[in-house]
Amino acid sequence: MNFKLPDIGEGIHEGEIVKWLVKQGEKVAADQPMVEVMTDKATVEIPSPVAGTIDTVFAKEGETIEVGKVLVVIREEGKAEVKKPEPPREAPVKTAPKEAAPVSREVTPIETDKSKAVPFGVLATPATRKLARDLDVDLGAVKGTGLHGRVTKEDVQMAAAGHEAAVPRPSHTAVSSTSMVPHTVQTTPAPQRGALQTIPLRGVRKKIAEAMQHSKRTAAHFTYVEEVDMSAVVALRASVLEEAKRRNVKLSYLPFIIKALIPCLQEFPYLNSSLDDEKEQIVLKGDYNIGIATDTPNGLIVPVIKNADQKNIWQLATEISVLAEKARTGKVGLEDLKGGTFTITNAGSIGGVFATPVINHPEVAILGVNAIRKRPVVKGDQIGIADMMFLSLSVDHRVVDGADAARFMNRMVFFLSEPTRLVFA
Amino acid sequence: MRTFDAIVIGAGPGGYPCAIRLAQEGKKVAIVEKDKWGGVCLNVGCIPSKALIHASTQFHKMKHLDEMGISVSAPKLDMEKMQAWKGGVVKQLTQGVSGLLKMNGVTSLSGNAVFKDAHTLEISGSSGKETITAKDIVIATGSRVVEIPILKFNGKNVLDSTQALDLKKLPKQFLVIGGGFIGLEIGMAYAKLGSKVTIVEALDQLLATVEKELVQVVEKKMRELGMTVLTSTKALGLREKDPAKESLLHLEVETKEGKKTLEADAILVSVGRKPNSDGLGLEKIGVKLDSRGNILVDRQGKTGVAGVWAIGDVTGAPQLAHRATQDGLLVAANIGGEKAYKDYKTVPWAVFVDPEIATAGLSEKEAKEQGISYKVGKFPFAANGRALSTNEGQGFLKVLIDEKNESLIGVHIVGPEASNLIAEATLAIEMGATVEDLVRTIHTHPTLPEALPEAVELAFSKAIHVFKPKRA
Repeated sequence: MNFKLPDIGEGIHEGEIVKWLVKQGEKVAADQPMVEVMTDKATVEIPSPVAGTIDTVFAKEGETIEVGKVLVVIREEGKAEVKKPEPPREAPVKTAPKEAAPVSREVTPIETDKSKAVPFGVLATPATRKLARDLDVDLGAVKGTGLHGRVTKEDVQMAAAGHEAAVPRPSHTAVSSTSMVPHTVQTTPAPQRGALQTIPLRGVRKKIAEAMQHSKRTAAHFTYVEEVDMSAVVALRASVLEEAKRRNVKLSYLPFIIKALIPCLQEFPYLNSSLDDEKEQIVLKGDYNIGIATDTPNGLIVPVIKNADQKNIWQLATEISVLAEKARTGKVGLEDLKGGTFTITNAGSIGGVFATPVINHPEVAILGVNAIRKRPVVKGDQIGIADMMFLSLSVDHRVVDGADAARFMNRMVFFLSEPTRLVFA
Repeated sequence: MRTFDAIVIGAGPGGYPCAIRLAQEGKKVAIVEKDKWGGVCLNVGCIPSKALIHASTQFHKMKHLDEMGISVSAPKLDMEKMQAWKGGVVKQLTQGVSGLLKMNGVTSLSGNAVFKDAHTLEISGSSGKETITAKDIVIATGSRVVEIPILKFNGKNVLDSTQALDLKKLPKQFLVIGGGFIGLEIGMAYAKLGSKVTIVEALDQLLATVEKELVQVVEKKMRELGMTVLTSTKALGLREKDPAKESLLHLEVETKEGKKTLEADAILVSVGRKPNSDGLGLEKIGVKLDSRGNILVDRQGKTGVAGVWAIGDVTGAPQLAHRATQDGLLVAANIGGEKAYKDYKTVPWAVFVDPEIATAGLSEKEAKEQGISYKVGKFPFAANGRALSTNEGQGFLKVLIDEKNESLIGVHIVGPEASNLIAEATLAIEMGATVEDLVRTIHTHPTLPEALPEAVELAFSKAIHVFKPKRA
């Protein structure tokens, strides 16, 4: 059978082949994972629908293929040979002899076109040309910054970044807070002195780049910061840590913040909405699906806690840790990444006073949760010590005005400073 | 059945570097050769011809030392000794190839290879048959001389280039059919040794792909050597029925002026080479050929059949050893998982006639075809101190400069050491060197390479050693 790249999630048109788990000529069982495909939402394993033998693999690792294009041909057990799809590219060879040789099953047309040769007129050294090849940059289209328009290695690197960004494919899920640093940046050793190391903008990094740029270009960002006395929440959490241990649940502050967030979103539905730029309409959401921006070795991804309003503290805590773990190990499924209505980013676990998060477009608001620190505060006419935290809320001013953001934050402070109030929410 | 990571068919200048590079990258590699290690280039091509050309030039120069005040008694030629010396050079190099393959852990197999399927070869050698298999197979089988029906090779007096390079006796009258670079190189060498040489070329110019003004310099030298050049002339056939039995052959030709009979005691037929793409079982595995039998490959050396690659002469023009080597290394890189493409701007080449011709980059014709407006600078070696002091002041070095970005796009040399001079030019073209780069690079004095920046300056009417009035 001709197995096509299936529709692996709403709004997904293509996927990048990360890794083949089967080889040509290898036998596969039904439901055996065949290939890892990275979409702009997640990396998914695609299983074989049938038992059989891998006949031909049509996409190479690193290649991006469209949904509906043939990915692999599987010879089903006990079934006759299937008609193979047309090869992916048109045969450009015009000089081929008419008496075509009996063609083996692995023949693909070859690209002998010389027009892609480096044109004279482009000034670039062989090393720069190799780099352009590696980064898929069309040298002829690069504007060289050197003397007489010489294309330098740096120009190619810039073009590689720019070229990819120049084809905006807005992701609706990936999100970042500006203060969160992906692991890759931390763990990659610095290049040697004088050296330039180039890293192709690919995969998750590319998706983040596109999504962030799109959000920043589209949403009219502003960030409102308020502080909240978390002492009561700290005490409340401390009082249930024993039980958390017994339940084997890792209990952070996030479930408490989500608990406080839900009534606020219900009160201010415009913060739980999205803006449809094309139709020019604001879409208020009846669901409360809270995205949690998660730091992973590949970069930031945002798994979503569905129907957070219907879950208790323990369910929220469990779901947060499971999703976070899945995200870190690259196991997060597309379902886990879809349908968010509002996003929380927690920069506080690393440090900082507060961050100004980038909105997870087309959502209109993102809440930055920052570090809880003991600080002197004025209580009545006395100075005391309290567990203080800044909350930073970035909103799309096209939808939400400053006053509403402030009122929303007042409600957050109202609930977090005295969490027992949530009982009546 | 032995299994390898990669198998290379053919141990010529494309195949053996490919095999060695694959081995260096940690692959388990076999190389199959049905004839001689080193291929045509080392055994019967580039290397022995250059040895013979050098020896004949030495011989010729001996006779012209008088003007430098050196008198020698007439030099004597011992053809057999010259051939033995040439054989020694070849042997040293081919043994070097075998040794390198061995030292790199490449399995060398002698025999003829035929594809059973895209990953399996049957090798028939003197020690019997063996089937070997590999994920990747590189076809590097090269090319062979074209035979024409009216002049079949007989190894005695109707010769291919291999046989012509191996003559133990100097022909008195040597006839060359085909005025390409092989015919001219060998023809000139025998002319220098004392043969009466005639070149017969069907087209109206010798070295048809070379710019005419370069060829003219060589033609002048050919006349000085007493050679006869018949262009626009077609060989019609031999008068003799069994030429191998005759000591003097009579070739009928049709010249512009009419029919003529040419005498010769040896005839070299050098009318081209054709790819060794037959007999490999390529049709079975689906490798496609063009109408001339060249294997079609893409810019990565892929044939379109997964795991089957092709390099060098068997993939068509330019049939040059250094291009095959580059192909071989590129395909080795691609087999190793790299993404290497043939994206060089130019494959330079040299003709070892006297004076030498060498070219890199675009010719004027090609530049015009590509719509590039260019400037030309032409520096005569007669104005180069080094050329004059070695008594080799003929020829010139011509540069083509792209007017738009002032980069070097073509260099054409006819003159002393052109084959060596072209290297700097090739590097400059690949690097995209501009006028400024070239003239600001100091060239050693007194040397032949000084001609390059001077030619560049001349394109702007500014050379020091040539006066060229500025255009109004």
